[in-house]
Amino acid sequence: MDFYFSLAQLIGVHTLLGLSAYIVLLTGQVSLAQAGFFAVGAYTAGMLTVLAGWHLVPALGASALSGAAVACAVGFPALRVKGLMLVIATLAFGEGVRLFFFNFDYQVAVDGIRLGPLGGEGFRQIRFFPENGWGTGEVMLFMWVFVIAAMALLWWFDRSRYGSVLRAVGEDELAAQSVGINLTAVKVSAMTVGGAIAGVGGGLYAHYTTHIEHSSFNILVATFAIAYPILGGLRNVFGTLLAVIFVQGFLVEGLRFMGDWRNLLFGALIVLAMNLRPSGFLGGRRRA
Amino acid sequence: MLELKALSRHFGGVRAVDGIDLAVAGGQIFGLIGPNGSGKSTTVNVITGLLPPTSGTILFRGEDIGALPTHLRLRAGIARTFQNIRLFGQLSVWQNLWVAQNSAEDRARQGFFARWLGGQGGVREEIARLLEFSGLAHKQDELAANLAFGEQRRLELARALAARPKLLLLDEPAAGMNSEEIAQLRDRILKLRDTGITIVLVEHVMELVMGVTDRIAVLNFGQKIAEGTPAEIQAHPAVRKAYLGGEAA
Amino acid sequence: MLDFLQAVSDGVLFGATYALIGIGFTLVFGVMHKINMAYAAASVGGAYCGLLVLKVMAGAPAWLVFLGAFAAGGVLGWMVYLTCFHFIPLSSPLATLMSTVGMLLLIDEVIVHVTNGMPQNYPLMFDDVMLRAGEFTLRGDLLLVFGVSVLVMIGLLLLLYHTRLGLATRAVSQQPVAAQLCGIRLVRVNALTFVVTGLLGGIAGALIGASVGMLSPLLTLPLTVKGLIVTVIGGLGSVPGAIVAGLLVGGFENVLQLYRGVTERDLYVMLLLFVFLVFRPGGIFAPKSGRD
Repeated sequence: MDFYFSLAQLIGVHTLLGLSAYIVLLTGQVSLAQAGFFAVGAYTAGMLTVLAGWHLVPALGASALSGAAVACAVGFPALRVKGLMLVIATLAFGEGVRLFFFNFDYQVAVDGIRLGPLGGEGFRQIRFFPENGWGTGEVMLFMWVFVIAAMALLWWFDRSRYGSVLRAVGEDELAAQSVGINLTAVKVSAMTVGGAIAGVGGGLYAHYTTHIEHSSFNILVATFAIAYPILGGLRNVFGTLLAVIFVQGFLVEGLRFMGDWRNLLFGALIVLAMNLRPSGFLGGRRRA
Repeated sequence: MLELKALSRHFGGVRAVDGIDLAVAGGQIFGLIGPNGSGKSTTVNVITGLLPPTSGTILFRGEDIGALPTHLRLRAGIARTFQNIRLFGQLSVWQNLWVAQNSAEDRARQGFFARWLGGQGGVREEIARLLEFSGLAHKQDELAANLAFGEQRRLELARALAARPKLLLLDEPAAGMNSEEIAQLRDRILKLRDTGITIVLVEHVMELVMGVTDRIAVLNFGQKIAEGTPAEIQAHPAVRKAYLGGEAA
Repeated sequence: MLDFLQAVSDGVLFGATYALIGIGFTLVFGVMHKINMAYAAASVGGAYCGLLVLKVMAGAPAWLVFLGAFAAGGVLGWMVYLTCFHFIPLSSPLATLMSTVGMLLLIDEVIVHVTNGMPQNYPLMFDDVMLRAGEFTLRGDLLLVFGVSVLVMIGLLLLLYHTRLGLATRAVSQQPVAAQLCGIRLVRVNALTFVVTGLLGGIAGALIGASVGMLSPLLTLPLTVKGLIVTVIGGLGSVPGAIVAGLLVGGFENVLQLYRGVTERDLYVMLLLFVFLVFRPGGIFAPKSGRD
């Protein structure tokens, strides 16, 4: 049973990651910075529970805020460039965050043990769950509360005028500004919401793995983040969830019996999927 | 209403718009005509802020709007349609009008949450009225991309009206229409003028331009070569030369 | 001061490989307006294939290995085109972005699978040559890297500016529709662009392998990032820009490695990119803004 619980935890974290990219993709922007926001959230929450002794819930709130703040700060300059330039700018930002944590030391003695991030060694002993005696099942339920909340939030956005405006910007920026939509405000707001979701995801990730290091936030994580909504299609949030279940549940776990070959198949399946369904599983939305 | 003073827009060495002076009075239907490449669309793009002018000033209701970004010019009351239709194809007809309600009046009417995150309740009447006006009420839940060509043109006009404009720039609204559709368009344009909207009509289709406009300016090679009433323009020698000379070449 | 000059010259010489990778990204962008995320991985893959020459013919000279990498790079480039671009409609930029990322993962994993993740020694040339001027030295292997890169770039420029294929390529990158109307077969130009960039990539991979002394799958991601940074700093689509930016980034990172250490080095490269994005978003050779 524990195996399925931890699989559900993994799927939960990756869904948050995918949703954070989903809302940015709605505006037509491809951001590879989501792993960076994820990292900021993870280190923020970890340091608050381990070093400052906070409870996890307010620490996750701080993760959301820090993720949002960084995303907003990055959004203003980065969203001045478009398309492929933005892909590269955000990719470089994500790498910059990773390299920052690669060089980030902040250790404090807690009960005689030195704890906290230590550069390339990473940040060990984020033991909020075991210290408070939470079982795998409880942790999973706790995490899914946040996943479902994030999905509900984006579902609501999609049905509101804000959602239509996001999609209008994604479809035709020129027409959108010509009907009075403030492109910068809309794009930065989407980036900020995405940053908050990624931050929460990072905070949860730090606590269920108990150990984070810079390489947990590399380009592959960033590409996974955009891969989920692209594979799932942008029609609604369930496409993203479906893609995460397919990738993490089926490709990564379900094909474990294939050993080494599984990793080979993974890349090949993405290539194949994009050839067969360029608009994603739940696609149909033709993107300009 | 709208005044252009010595407005220029150059692309490298090409003087797409080269020192145009124009004055459009409130309540008028003002025609802007000229051969292909004479700078009409560039003028519209500069007025709406999609292109910065190389030099010159743009006054709207007496104020210099040259430094305003596009979305603020719309909120000030300048709406437009595009020569090549630019709808939000993956949004429904209804949503296309919903996202376009950005007039100062609409922004003030609802609070932040009701406006951005509220449902579709509060704004129905205005959109229903626009759909009725455009003859698209029965298509309101259709994706804009699935509409027929004439319907898309009508929707684009309705989308521009959703911003409650004071000045409406129509960039070749009759392109590709048959004569029956052009007649309907003419009726709509006249109705809009009667509600007090000033209209700048950029058009090639002479039966429309000559039939509805109060005043016409003719552009050629980025410069204004004539201005006057439709009758004056039809008799103007320079205009005849520009058009016939253009065709002969 | 001498340390500084030494770091700059070593970095600039090695930067020639970045320039080659940058050219590959930039050419594909110029012709198709797409990013080929698999490019750096395919380049390293090509270099690995070069090692097969040693399997077949033990003790083969290093230049033969390089030639093998060169050829294999071209084949891989064509395969990337076929799997990631040919069948995906041009109107789905996200799909090609994703498919090339999938290809990147696939190439990476094939390398890991075949070599069991062990780094492979790469044959060296001129590594025992040292040109000295007082304390200042020029390493022979780096000079070779630089020299070969320059030759390859000259070859590319000749191809682009003095052959029909080059003319067609430039025509497509400037006016795709008009080029087609003039009888240029778009599909063929696209495919050939991938083959040509693949050839460049193969030789770049081999040169990197030779100057580092070995190849590892861990090279692909950093090389992808560096290549993209070079492309942006040089200006998307600009070949001369990619060359200058490659040398600039090579020198810059080596100087910072000298003063700030290898772990912090790349952080400053990212900062360099952001400086460019804020102050000169069009890159070193920003194209003049055209109509619309």
